[in-house]
Amino acid sequence: MKINERTDWLFLISLFLLLVSGLFCIYSASGTQKSLFTHQVLFVLAGILLFMAASSFPLRIIEESVPAVYGVTLILLVLTILFGGGPAGRWLQLGPLNIQASEIAKFCVIVLTARWLPALKKKSVSGGVTPYLLSVGLLVALTLLQPDLGTAAAIVMIIFGMIYWAGFGFNWIFLFLSPLFAALSSMNYIAWLIFMAILCTILYRSGARPRRWVFFLIMTSVIAAVTPSTWGLLHPYQQARLTTFLNPEADPFGAGWNVIQSKVAVGAGGITGQGFLRGSQNELAFLPARHTDFVFSVWAEEWGFAGGVFLLFMYAVLAWRMFSGARRSLNPFNSMVGAGTAVFIVIHVIVNVGMTLGIMPVTGLPLPLITYGGSHLLVEMLLLGLSYNVILNWRSY
Amino acid sequence: MRYASHARENPYRSMMIVTIAAFLILVAKLVELQILKGDYYRELSSRNHIRSVFRPAARGLITDRYGVVLADNYPSFTVSLVSVEFDTANTDLLGNLLQIDPLVLSERLAAAESNPYRSTQLVNGLSVEDAGRIADNLYRLGGVSVDVQPRRRYPYGSTFCHLVGYVGLTDSTGVFEGEITGRTGLERILNPALSGKHGVVREVVDAHGRVVERFQGSEVEPVPGESVRLTVDTRLQLAADSLIASTGNPGAAVVLNYETGEILTLSSVPGFDTNLFIGGISAENWSNILNNPSKPLLNRSWANAVPPGSVFKIVSAAWLLESGIVNESTMPDPCYGVFYLGGSRFKCWTSHGRISIVSALAQSCDTYFYRTSMQGDLDDMAEFARGFGLGAPVTDILPGEASGTLPTRELLNQLYGQGGWGLGNLMIASIGQGEVLATPLQIAVTSAIIASGGDMPGLLLVYGDAPSDRTWNTDLSEATLGIVRQGMLRAVTSPSGTLYSALGSLPVTVYGKSGTAENSSGEDHAWITGYLTEPEPLAFAVFIENGGHGGAIAGPVAAGLILKIVELYHED
Repeated sequence: MKINERTDWLFLISLFLLLVSGLFCIYSASGTQKSLFTHQVLFVLAGILLFMAASSFPLRIIEESVPAVYGVTLILLVLTILFGGGPAGRWLQLGPLNIQASEIAKFCVIVLTARWLPALKKKSVSGGVTPYLLSVGLLVALTLLQPDLGTAAAIVMIIFGMIYWAGFGFNWIFLFLSPLFAALSSMNYIAWLIFMAILCTILYRSGARPRRWVFFLIMTSVIAAVTPSTWGLLHPYQQARLTTFLNPEADPFGAGWNVIQSKVAVGAGGITGQGFLRGSQNELAFLPARHTDFVFSVWAEEWGFAGGVFLLFMYAVLAWRMFSGARRSLNPFNSMVGAGTAVFIVIHVIVNVGMTLGIMPVTGLPLPLITYGGSHLLVEMLLLGLSYNVILNWRSY
Repeated sequence: MRYASHARENPYRSMMIVTIAAFLILVAKLVELQILKGDYYRELSSRNHIRSVFRPAARGLITDRYGVVLADNYPSFTVSLVSVEFDTANTDLLGNLLQIDPLVLSERLAAAESNPYRSTQLVNGLSVEDAGRIADNLYRLGGVSVDVQPRRRYPYGSTFCHLVGYVGLTDSTGVFEGEITGRTGLERILNPALSGKHGVVREVVDAHGRVVERFQGSEVEPVPGESVRLTVDTRLQLAADSLIASTGNPGAAVVLNYETGEILTLSSVPGFDTNLFIGGISAENWSNILNNPSKPLLNRSWANAVPPGSVFKIVSAAWLLESGIVNESTMPDPCYGVFYLGGSRFKCWTSHGRISIVSALAQSCDTYFYRTSMQGDLDDMAEFARGFGLGAPVTDILPGEASGTLPTRELLNQLYGQGGWGLGNLMIASIGQGEVLATPLQIAVTSAIIASGGDMPGLLLVYGDAPSDRTWNTDLSEATLGIVRQGMLRAVTSPSGTLYSALGSLPVTVYGKSGTAENSSGEDHAWITGYLTEPEPLAFAVFIENGGHGGAIAGPVAAGLILKIVELYHED
């Protein structure tokens, strides 16, 4: 990373401010366990080194090593399913390190999509879209089995953001999502009719060949026919177990309570906040998971509306710089990585902050750059480094 | 050319618009929480007076095959207290209204203080009148609340005490005060399905503990438990209970359908009233049950393995035939009423003379089995008996099902040491004595296997569940089955048969086998097992503990049970 006239000061300053705010949050939230703060400082320092390395690393090499990245990620995901530990069984212990493989899966899916989608667009790939869909589907399935519904959903959203960025348009996104829509709409007759009407319209408007018509109609019909009866065969307690298994945070007695306490903490922050280390919900330990999932409510209680808007603004600046860098970039892979990273950051902020405000479901998605923990922070710093690299080297093709 | 401008639509612009719109929604929510409702939340956080009130789910019903209710719920009132909101000056008033001992009350108040923000139950099981008295005075009693909760009830408490079991308070790990869980029997085994899922309401309370408002959007409705229909027939079970009770001895009776595997009766006498256990049993009632010499807690139909005696000959006869040691016409040396091997004396209950296997079954001749089984192999017989559901549980749902025992070389070596036992152990095992132990349920299964030729499906107790795995032999030869069936028929129809006087004059054809089992607890155990083909394909076992001679005491019970079956199923 060279500091010169091309330096994107807005990007670097907002990144720096977010990291510093994060350390304030963790210091405050760690209460008597100050070792958490020490760890986080080390993670941040490691993250900065990784950022600097990634921002000057040749992106072409990253593009060429996507298959290797994919292989390593699959192995880590499978190992976690087999030997995972930690509170939700999502951590893989490698020597002294606890790795969250589902975080690495996010990185993998971004570079994988960045490599394949532009090529697909040119229609020069043998086998068409199927190999890509299968490899991404495998990643999502393994992430679901971690079990980590939140991350799997985030990955799917990142993919759709990138599909859109690649210029496939909303029709494509709808067709990609159609199995999911079919399953969901099958619970209600009217919803299913509406879904089928939209599906047919899109197939017609995109001038689909008969083979594609047959494929989509049969696939969605089978899914819609099978879903309700399969679900209905389960006992209510089995359904509850399944949803709790996929999304442990959804327990209304644990997490529902957390959300209430989080809203109280945020609301109690008022306009200017209660001041650093003076948030009573946080300091009196009413707030659950306060250094991890609900770290935003710590910030909002201490720094109030002003602090909350400040954080959101910094994230927005970061996303803006990345989107615009990606737009300028001449290289398809680079552009996709930059946009994918921006989508990644935006989705995580919306889901995590939305959760602490009670307008998003409770998932374990971290608040980028701020939530305690090494895996997600390092993955984020790596991706941001690559994005910054894209911003600096937009001319390279 | 810029890569992103390939797009039909401008992705950069839409992405930025979506991002900014989403962030503005978050900001709008921040405005609502922090600016518009900031004071409200600040107030809440300064006192954190949000209280969780759990709402128990109605437990699923348990019914018999015809829908007769074996366990249901009725409304019962409880009085609870949130300690921090209670003014201790009101203790006397509360005590008077509850009509409980001041010492007991102060103990419970102290218990409530250990969890001051949560609602702790003071009294439960109140009638409408008692609860009404408290409710009328609630305005004076901050922190006290009256709730209605479903309470369990067992209309046939003692008849199904072992099978249905009972519920009780959960251990301290329960989610909320007063949460109940299945403690014994199917209430325990089926608890995940029966219990449903409790709901919760979050309430904002004022300084007096009065509910100001419900915290919006956080209610969770309780999900009622699922109802469960059992295969048992209450009418038959009641009849079996009273028939056994009329003998004055403890005992058990099992009836099962050998074409469907459904269990119709699992009677164990004496029982105890499970309703006594709900909400905690009194010390007096508990010691009455515990000190009753006929041990009502002991479940005799499937949890207690005892020597089966001669009813085991059904199995050993099939073994002798299948392993080729005897055939239909084999006539070993005559029975003189006693048989000597080495220096040991093995008795038979009378002198039967020279007889075939059909007569040996019908007349229950021990000597026939001594003389023939000594040509066989101990482990071979045990393995064969395993194929009749013996030596291992026959269901995978009944709680605490006993395995029973089958003597093998390994077991006898353990018990007596290498060489400490001999051929005699095999001989007495062949007549169901010595180390052979079985439950009445297992004995009923042996008859069912003979009746169905091993085709009976796995046993079924709960409709909608998968049947238990079949542990038995399904390829017995027709010849063997025919001979054993003939022996069981002749036991009832032949004037010299052991069950002729007890079951010979019944209006239906009965295949049966009696047993008189010596045991260490005193008088012999009386056994009868067998099966019917009409009016329903039913196999049964009757066991009378220390009942003396099989035919004499168990006979009338079996006869009564068969007559009841005829009465109940004749028309259907």
